Amino acid sequence: MCSIAAPEVFGSDELGHATVLIVGDLPAELHAKARRAQANCPEDAIIIEE
Amino acid sequence: MTTLEENSGPVNDPTTDYNIFDPEFVRDPYPTMSDIRESACPIAHSDRWGGSWFPTRYDDVVAIAQEYEIFTSRDIVVVPRSGLGVEGPYAGVAAPPISSDPPDHHWHRRLILPVFAPQAVAKYEQTTRDFCNQLIDKFIDSGEADAGTDYAQQIPVRVIATMLGVPLEMADEFTSWVRGVLEVGLTDPKVRFESRLKILNFFQTQLEDRKKNPREDDLITDLLNSGDKYPVTDQYVLGVCNLMLVAGIDTTWSAIGSSLWHLAGHPEHRKQLRANPDLWPTAVEELLRAYSPVTMARIVDRDTEFQGCPMKAGDRILMAYPAANRDPRQFEHPDEVILDREHNRHVAFGSGIHRCAGSNLARLELRVALQVWLERIPEFSLVDPATVTWAGGQVHGPRVCRVHF
Repeated sequence: MCSIAAPEVFGSDELGHATVLIVGDLPAELHAKARRAQANCPEDAIIIEE
Repeated sequence: MTTLEENSGPVNDPTTDYNIFDPEFVRDPYPTMSDIRESACPIAHSDRWGGSWFPTRYDDVVAIAQEYEIFTSRDIVVVPRSGLGVEGPYAGVAAPPISSDPPDHHWHRRLILPVFAPQAVAKYEQTTRDFCNQLIDKFIDSGEADAGTDYAQQIPVRVIATMLGVPLEMADEFTSWVRGVLEVGLTDPKVRFESRLKILNFFQTQLEDRKKNPREDDLITDLLNSGDKYPVTDQYVLGVCNLMLVAGIDTTWSAIGSSLWHLAGHPEHRKQLRANPDLWPTAVEELLRAYSPVTMARIVDRDTEFQGCPMKAGDRILMAYPAANRDPRQFEHPDEVILDREHNRHVAFGSGIHRCAGSNLARLELRVALQVWLERIPEFSLVDPATVTWAGGQVHGPRVCRVHF
């Protein structure tokens, strides 16, 4: 789900498990997409550190 | 307690006597789910169909899904097995990993996940699009079609047959077997038993064939050859094939059907989707939330108390994902379809270790099926809302759904 909401931020490995593509701080233009991914993660597994 | 006759009769109080096969509940379950959810007893109990619990609040459904050691998946069907189903040549064949508990669950799931990863299912997009176009070619000139039988029902069975490398010409047979297990068979043990036997006999033959004639890039061959990594048996491979057919067809078909039924009655949503293709990702999730097709079951492992409910070892719990997905504590305006809904942590695919392994494929099929339909048939409406028929119980969705355009 996160890789649909924020494909620049999240990818998936060969099992389909989510991976994080960006190390460190997110560029400002991706904040909204990352928040959308967080709000829609079915496992509530995304934490965004401000 | 496994037939309609034994379990029929009026329901006075759904919190103590719900009937998941009551015709009114099958047609439109949401008012009853809401009544239970907002009552003093949001985890209802009914003695019908062998007895079960029915949690309707989002937090409760998720909590039960996460506690897989207490709430096991040793049976995931919403009604008890009849004596027939536990005997015969395939008595030990289950539907891994959906029916597996840890520790086996881990490798059962590990083996099939690569097939359903986003990048792996993407290669079926064009095939799915072609199937959809071919189906529409057959009826577009007539100005009328059954969006259920002529379209929604036809798509997932073809995609799954393609994935499994089994004959597409058998689509109607596969569909009838799956209905025999998941729909008609739930209230008719004989049909369920016979349908299961047909599915497993068919795949047993496919297994024998792959052993003699291994194929390149073939799921069944690959599964049979996974023995170097995991203790793979024929029974396991048969079980996976069984699951892919049973879980991959009726479910997505119902989601496509419900979505088309919704769009037939909502011109404003058709217009929104045509005008703004960027809406598709959130729209697909929203339709999955509002019309979640699947209800699974769990079996209580040991006596336990959950939210004040005294659950006994062996009790059945119906995971009412459709009810959880309309809980106002979790979703604003839960009964409204909001195609650009921002916050949508829905559980249409379940939650926890048994979250649907095929969700990426289901999403792809649902999106492509609706996109192709709207490209070719931008405007359509129900011929007569009263003639739409619905299936319910384990999987909820329209079956006959005539539209004109």
